[in-house]
Amino acid sequence: MNLYSGAIFSNPNASLRIEKKETQSPKFNEHFKDFLDSANRQQLQADKAVSAFLNGEIEDVHQVMIVTEEARLSLQLAVQVTNKMIEAYKDISRMQL
Amino acid sequence: MEMFRSFKISGSALAAEKLRVDLVAGNLANMHTTRTAAGGAYRRKTIVFAESYSKARSAFAGKGVRVASIVDDPNPSRLEYDPEHPDANEEGFVPYPNINLAKEMTDLITASRSYEANTTAINTFKSLYLKALEIGRG
Repeated sequence: MNLYSGAIFSNPNASLRIEKKETQSPKFNEHFKDFLDSANRQQLQADKAVSAFLNGEIEDVHQVMIVTEEARLSLQLAVQVTNKMIEAYKDISRMQL
Repeated sequence: MEMFRSFKISGSALAAEKLRVDLVAGNLANMHTTRTAAGGAYRRKTIVFAESYSKARSAFAGKGVRVASIVDDPNPSRLEYDPEHPDANEEGFVPYPNINLAKEMTDLITASRSYEANTTAINTFKSLYLKALEIGRG
């Protein structure tokens, strides 16, 4: 069974690209770190927005709420992706040799 | 972030509606103001909204709404007979602002309902996003 059949269907060069990625792609933990960094950036942004609101630099309360919600959703996405990565890792590590 | 474009669009509407509430508050506060910096009675302020869009290549380039301008209501001032008033003219009439209380309250309700509608849009986007995160769970 070809796991990438969907991707190949939409893009005929997909299989080629995937092979290339496998040889050049950054390491798993680097990907992971980048991803967590982006979620962290959102958290810092939310932090900044809250303090700016308290200092009176931002007048609109909805702006703060939107930024904090963005941060929350980004974190949830990060958690879900992390769970999936760990699941995949466990599946492989449990493999019988 | 493009992922949260719905937030940006609804957020622009929230800011615009908030400004509208501010204008109504200003109109109500100045309902009996007979002196302004420009001279004469206070003039009712109204708001003009314009569509905001980006020059992005995506099919949908909407960015929500922006406030195009704040304009003075062109209707003439309401004249009230009160010769004792210091701002009365030679005939004893005082020009009061052209503000109709019922109209202002209608504006206020419209703005408040629009604000609610846009927060609902934000919350709907949020629940869609959270639903999407549930893909593959369980």
